[in-house]
Amino acid sequence: MTMTDVAFYLLSGFAIWTGWRVFRVDSMIRATFLLLLSFTSVGLIGLLLSASYLGAATIFMMAVEMMVMGLFMVMFMMNPAGLNPMMMVHQHRLSIVAGLLIFAAMTGAVLLTPLPSDPVAADRPVLRDLGIELLGDSMLIFETAGVTLLATMLGAVVLSSRRGRFGPTDAGSVPPGLSAGGPPAGRQPKGGGSHGGHGGHGGHGGQGGKGAHDGHGGGGSHGGHGKNGGDGNHGGHGG
Amino acid sequence: MSLIVGLPALLALLLIGLWAAAALDTAIGRLIVGRPVGMAATDPLRAVVADYLRQRTDTEAPDHLNWLLAPGYYFLLAVVGLALVPFAPDQSLIALDTSVVLWGAAEAVVVVAVFLHGWSPNAPFPLIGAYRYVAIGLPVMLLSMFVLIAASIPAQSLDLRAVVESQRGLWNVIRQPLGLPLFLAVVMSLTLRGPFDYADSADLAGGTSAEDGGPRWIAWQTARAAMLVAACAIAATAFLGGYLGPVLPGWLWLSLKTLAVMVAVVLLTHLVPRMPVAQMLTLIWIVLLPIAFLDLLIAGLGAL
Amino acid sequence: MGMSWARAFAASGPPPVFAAIGAGGLQRAEELHGTLRLQRSPRQAAILLVLGEIAPDLLPFLQRLHDHLPHPRATIWHRATPPGDWTDPVQATADGLERTLTDLWRSILSGDRASEPDFLPDKPPNEWRGVGPHGQGGKGMMGGTPYGRPMAMTDDDLRDGLSLDAYSAPFGPFLPMLPPGLILDLTLQGDVIQSATATRPPCPQPGSDDRPGDAIARLMRVMDMPALALRRTRDGLPPAMGIAMLRRAIPDGLGRARDGTDVRDRLDRWRDKDAPQADDGTRLSDLLPGLEWHEAMIVLNSFQPDRIRAICARSGPEGGDEDDKDGNRDAPAHAPPDHGGHQHHDMTGPAA
Repeated sequence: MTMTDVAFYLLSGFAIWTGWRVFRVDSMIRATFLLLLSFTSVGLIGLLLSASYLGAATIFMMAVEMMVMGLFMVMFMMNPAGLNPMMMVHQHRLSIVAGLLIFAAMTGAVLLTPLPSDPVAADRPVLRDLGIELLGDSMLIFETAGVTLLATMLGAVVLSSRRGRFGPTDAGSVPPGLSAGGPPAGRQPKGGGSHGGHGGHGGHGGQGGKGAHDGHGGGGSHGGHGKNGGDGNHGGHGG
Repeated sequence: MSLIVGLPALLALLLIGLWAAAALDTAIGRLIVGRPVGMAATDPLRAVVADYLRQRTDTEAPDHLNWLLAPGYYFLLAVVGLALVPFAPDQSLIALDTSVVLWGAAEAVVVVAVFLHGWSPNAPFPLIGAYRYVAIGLPVMLLSMFVLIAASIPAQSLDLRAVVESQRGLWNVIRQPLGLPLFLAVVMSLTLRGPFDYADSADLAGGTSAEDGGPRWIAWQTARAAMLVAACAIAATAFLGGYLGPVLPGWLWLSLKTLAVMVAVVLLTHLVPRMPVAQMLTLIWIVLLPIAFLDLLIAGLGAL
Repeated sequence: MGMSWARAFAASGPPPVFAAIGAGGLQRAEELHGTLRLQRSPRQAAILLVLGEIAPDLLPFLQRLHDHLPHPRATIWHRATPPGDWTDPVQATADGLERTLTDLWRSILSGDRASEPDFLPDKPPNEWRGVGPHGQGGKGMMGGTPYGRPMAMTDDDLRDGLSLDAYSAPFGPFLPMLPPGLILDLTLQGDVIQSATATRPPCPQPGSDDRPGDAIARLMRVMDMPALALRRTRDGLPPAMGIAMLRRAIPDGLGRARDGTDVRDRLDRWRDKDAPQADDGTRLSDLLPGLEWHEAMIVLNSFQPDRIRAICARSGPEGGDEDDKDGNRDAPAHAPPDHGGHQHHDMTGPAA
């Protein structure tokens, strides 16, 4: 048992434990950063496997992604700090059994498969080989993927921008009517439109009617910011 | 470099650097005001001891674990950064052929640590400081990526040791003049200072540190000072030639260069105001990032 | 009592002080910034320095502020009258302040003077222990008042079509970056201000209007140039290059008042030492909604003390008391109903 083996077992155990804790904690921020810890352990295992660039880049990328994910969760999800304990799982028992079975199956597959023993030579220029692969044989794949991702990002920013071609998008730019001067074509949004709000994250309402969150289409029912009229029924706070 | 020799040396350098950072802050502050410098070297130490002796306060329903550990994460990242810096040819505590990428990863996790420090107290000012910082800290990190890659191009390697060796003929600050100023902006963002201090700012009554009393305050400030030392050491390594220099031993040159970068950062901290968030975002994405691309282009053309 | 070496070493340095400014204390506070170590938050201070007369309606806030300082702590009253029920107040004369501070710092660190006890009970304002099915006041997934506060519900964002949590809380009256004495009731979405009312206007500061150097220094401090703020050239202003950089960092058109001036114009008037402008009927609702926190602080610090007093006096809560909110540390968390009453009719001038 060399130091590398010990490090491998410690990191793997930590990755599995933090991965499990992601689903057990109530606070979303804790869950996000436990996931980051799990990924960091995997990245460090990558360093052990002589894939130093992949390992370090994994940590780098995952830190940024988890930070953004955490921030978006705080912005848009209800109860991000887990102040009230939440049960957000469906078919709890079935999913535990399924999870354990899959874990057992995959662990068995890994342990029982004869894996090759092919240690990387100590003086092999791993980074150089990776670079030549990225910009040589696989250049088409990576460059098109890069440009596609960039186009997607730009498109998302443009689509979500408030300034539209004909004015602010939330000032009610609507499609023209079917007849000249007639009402705008297409489906009318109910009430204020964008209050899918906290109920809209599908299926968190194991309790409280899912239909109830349609009820505040009146828009103006947000009087008393911070006052919570709902008692368990998160649809009803407009009253 | 073996751990037995390297780790104590690193911690010794870090301690001296911490004291130097605190003394520089006080001394330069007083010089700018026009008051006598006085006991600037020991006043920070007195404040440290005084704060350590005082009560540790709590807010209601904080995230206790993360509040306790956030300065620890920050300090650990500073130690990792300093461990990547080569003190002599082929001698650094963490010998990795992708040390530039690992430093980038450390920068990314700094944002996480600062966010957790602001999230934990469960109070409005720390929280505003935390997520405001994320909006600025993440794009500033992109700047550092590009300038460090530009610094790596002449070395044909992502290893900081090779980057230093490639500067034997000419320092990177001369052949890539845009690199160091941009990296100084990154250093200020990483250490929550001056124009990039959106986390611990005066308009939020201390921001993420607004609820920190006594030992918590000292832990966080120590971690900040440690990150200043580490980031300035990386700047000295990547742009000022690290341990290269005549006559004096390599580690002394490295220390002097790190000190010079620290003086520059502290001066900028005191002399440059902080813009509102929207203006800073525009500045970073529309002005600084294209300048970073230009720096990369210059480096690439130089390598042809 | 003998002091350990560590305590003696700590006591030989300048003490950390938090300044609570009342009526007429702003000018003195500006002078003291240069000589004392004034902190940005009471958590980092050991001595509470009360400057200027504290009106009776502000005393409960002062007591809560006092309880925020970590032990060992003490209070010094300077140009202020301590109320009758303040235990063992220490008062300092005009030129004896530094001496009193050093002596007090030494005595509380060594234990000669006991640390001042709390005024308010250390209980949550909205009792949550044992309430509700989870034992912390919450009900269901988002309901109830977990840990004493209702969960913020979403509301339309001002800047784009998103729907974000709206958080309402009162801020003030001793926040160092707000005019002293001002209690602002803000609804924030993130750090963007949705609505702002002043439940209490700032304390009067006679004689502060004709000190443009101090006003520029306050603005510099909000933008994190504390050292340059203290340096004065021969004409009493901070250095011209510092003012120029400050001007460039402030966006154009920010904080446009009803008379058409924005923050840059007002800064220019200070720099050129023009006469202070007359009031023009601006309200907080013209200035603050839609601004994010940093910009709002810049705007609030771009007015002379008298003018910001007039603006806030005009921006009181419309019709009736604001609802009691469980608040943050600088705020009336549990103002009983009759307390809300006399914040109302003191708009024109709280008794000094």
